Amino acid sequence: MLPFSYATRNLFRDKARLLQTVGGSAMVVLLVMGALAINQGMKQVLAASGSPHNVILLGAGSEESVQRSEVAEQAAGIAGSEIPGVTEVMGTRAVSTEIHYMGLARFPGGSEAQALFRGVTPTALLTHPEVQLTEGRYPRTGEVMVGRLAWRQMKLSPTALRPGATLLLEDQELTVSGIFAAPGTVMESEVWLPIGDLRVMAQRDSVSCVVLRLDDPDDFAEADLFAKRRLDLELSALRESDYYARLNSFFAPLRAMTWLTAGLIAIGALFGGLNTLYAAFASRIREMATLQAIGFGRGALLTSLIQESTLACLTGAFVASVVALLALDGLVVPFSIGTFAMKISPSVALTGILTGCFLGLLGALPPAIRCLKPALPVALRSS
Amino acid sequence: MSQPMILCRGLTKTYQKGSTTVTPLEALDLEVPEGQFLALMGPSGSGKTTLLNLLSGIDSPTSGTLEIAGSEIGSLSRGQLTRWRARNIGYIFQLYHLVPILTAFENVELPLLLDSMSKSERREKVESALELVGLSDRMHHRPTELSGGQEQRVAIARALVADPKLLVADEPTGDLDRESATRILELLQALAHEHGKTIVMVTHDPRAADAADRTLHLEKGLLITQP
Repeated sequence: MLPFSYATRNLFRDKARLLQTVGGSAMVVLLVMGALAINQGMKQVLAASGSPHNVILLGAGSEESVQRSEVAEQAAGIAGSEIPGVTEVMGTRAVSTEIHYMGLARFPGGSEAQALFRGVTPTALLTHPEVQLTEGRYPRTGEVMVGRLAWRQMKLSPTALRPGATLLLEDQELTVSGIFAAPGTVMESEVWLPIGDLRVMAQRDSVSCVVLRLDDPDDFAEADLFAKRRLDLELSALRESDYYARLNSFFAPLRAMTWLTAGLIAIGALFGGLNTLYAAFASRIREMATLQAIGFGRGALLTSLIQESTLACLTGAFVASVVALLALDGLVVPFSIGTFAMKISPSVALTGILTGCFLGLLGALPPAIRCLKPALPVALRSS
Repeated sequence: MSQPMILCRGLTKTYQKGSTTVTPLEALDLEVPEGQFLALMGPSGSGKTTLLNLLSGIDSPTSGTLEIAGSEIGSLSRGQLTRWRARNIGYIFQLYHLVPILTAFENVELPLLLDSMSKSERREKVESALELVGLSDRMHHRPTELSGGQEQRVAIARALVADPKLLVADEPTGDLDRESATRILELLQALAHEHGKTIVMVTHDPRAADAADRTLHLEKGLLITQP
């Protein structure tokens, strides 16, 4: 076998080519890591947003979108009293009547942004215990409380939604009274306000849904039975976790697009890398033939060429990992119903490294085989 | 009578070039005793390099027998020939064919990497080979830092470091000035006469051929001088 140092020294034979190979590999690996982090981040935020303890009562036929759903106002009271196993905190049953409304918010200075407004009552804090006020207080009439990542979702400056800031929804001025956190969920990108205010602004005479929190998730069957029995209310019961799982499926084509984009660019970069390696190895046909004439087998030479290419690609993968950690880790990405933070997890990093290995191997094989294929007498005469 | 180092009988090489069959070497009979320095001369296309490639296991004959040191190599596969070359052949190229990223020492060391040998053993052999070609003081220089003559001497050291039975040289002085060429030829003579190496050298240069013990002429694939 040729010593490993032969491969490492060959890397620096042509620094421009080395840079091309490392750069190409880094780009592909970064894209793969980015696509994977986006996919994982979106899946995780949607999975974390739905609690298996929560049941959403939606209007029958509107199971795909809570915003389009219409539920009679009195359904909350009836469901709260008829469905067994609803969590009770200090005598208050965890039954939240909600209006979900995608509205256009206007800000002083003229900027506008779409945001999900959730009209709630204070019991929403019982059904969504992950929501914690971090600044200010629960909103009164004419006020809103905003998720701590809402400013990112609306592409505003970090200070645009501080307590005391104002915004216009349907020409009504609303003042930010507080900021809440709901770690890892889409709610952190929402704007919550009293349901009465939103009912007027959205001109609705019904609510979007009723959310109930159950002590035991297995009591969902009771809620489902209630929805099926009370035909007059025209309800459909869904586990909140199932609702977000459906949303997850809804976003699958979007995630596929990220893979497709990453894949197409990766293929382009792979061909670029192949071209670079073809040129690099083609200039060494005679050297490879000389080594064969000395007695090195083609297997040993192929191994050395693959080592060389894999080293370059792994260097690219390392560069990409550093860039990903510095630039992508923690980056908040908005999508239509919320935001999520990209996380360069060990699995993402490992996938990047494996991609680098794969590129090194796959990228080296065709040019290396071409380099070693010519008959020895011919290869020894090559210039 | 001792066994010849090289024994060819009816050695023929043909290949297809489009629809034409080309025969660069036809029914060649040849015997070369051990320790002889043989020069092969002839015009371009006469089959000199083809014969050299066959003798060194770089190429395989189409027909005929070819024995080197008693081993028939004409029927060996590509892989078998590669292993056989590592043990038996030292090849000296006209343009040296040194690996540019390696030092003189490392270039000479290459054939020894094919044997299971300790690092200190390798060092000893490489230093001896470089001393033999008079380049002990250049062992850590890269090929680009050496003159043509020095590069060829490194190539000779590489060819002989594994102590092969046969050295083949394809125009070893073809790219050198007269002084360097003379030194290379003196070195090859010494390897044959003092170290018992059998050497087959292809050359166009009659002065180089004069340095050999015996000269054969090839023309259109046929041996025309067989003393």
